[in-house]
Amino acid sequence: MTSKTDSADKAILMAAFAKMDVVALAVAVGSIWALILLLATAILLLKGAPEGHEIGGHLELLGIYLPGYRVSWGGGLLGAVYFWFLGAITGFILALLWNMTHYLYVIVIVVRSAWWRLMAE
Amino acid sequence: MSNNAFLEPGGDEPVQLNEKLLHAAVKLNTLLLAAVFGSVSGLAMFVLTYLSLYRGLPKPGQFLNLLGVFLPGYSVSHAGAWVGLFWGALIGALLAAMFYRIYARSIASQVQDYLRSGGSKDDLMGVTLRFDGNYLGLALGTIIAGGLFITTSWLVFRGTAEESVNAVLLSQYLPGYTVSMPGALIGAIELFCVVYMLCQLFSWIYNSVARFRGRKPR
Repeated sequence: MTSKTDSADKAILMAAFAKMDVVALAVAVGSIWALILLLATAILLLKGAPEGHEIGGHLELLGIYLPGYRVSWGGGLLGAVYFWFLGAITGFILALLWNMTHYLYVIVIVVRSAWWRLMAE
Repeated sequence: MSNNAFLEPGGDEPVQLNEKLLHAAVKLNTLLLAAVFGSVSGLAMFVLTYLSLYRGLPKPGQFLNLLGVFLPGYSVSHAGAWVGLFWGALIGALLAAMFYRIYARSIASQVQDYLRSGGSKDDLMGVTLRFDGNYLGLALGTIIAGGLFITTSWLVFRGTAEESVNAVLLSQYLPGYTVSMPGALIGAIELFCVVYMLCQLFSWIYNSVARFRGRKPR
């Protein structure tokens, strides 16, 4: 029973300190961002514009930051490529920060415990 | 048997999870995630404001200025960038903390999976995180859908629903959404479903890539 409890404790710590796979998060965030922009563009193209509005007048403003992007099928694909890279960079940074904060926390714990052990001796 | 006690296959005695340790682990990750997201969203607001100021639309801050409706004091200006940094950090940290509080419900089931698989010889710090699509969808869906409901309600209560011509364009993506209380509810439900499905896809991609890279996700 004790070993099971120890295993359970270890499993909790493993879940808490599990590190993110930096590449996997970059790929996943990039893919989802690309899909969102592609769908957002495609929905506008398929549905058309509401009365009194041009098709994708607001979404097309992304073209200011993403050269070549327009609310068109080709533009949607190009925007998806841009968003994939932007998402990948975001995911990469988030995973790095997540892992780094955990490592820093562990380092602080180790240093503190070493300090108290030293003081006790 | 409590919520965090469970029987292993073939076992006769329930294994009780250490509630204190579980709580401390959740608290730690909540704080760390809040710190990470608070910093990132605060900086993002700051950079976006300056991007809009110097390289923005033909009319700088044309749309970003609308955030001032929800973030008191914010505008696309030098002072507004600092106000945006503050609001971005605060809201980012709060949302991240709320997100993790909901998502953390998956930890108990991850621990159970780990123990049912007989444990592993993995080093404590060498384990790769695995996303649970259901809990991720529940947490992120609740936060984002709740955000849409609250911001729409705010537009209704301040009496500017009729003038919210930009917000109403969301109906292009969320059929039935209007800047009204019933519209907000319909939009929130639809948005929850969309986010939930995207989270399922996201988790599948992440877990597959992590597995492919040779690290057994846990």
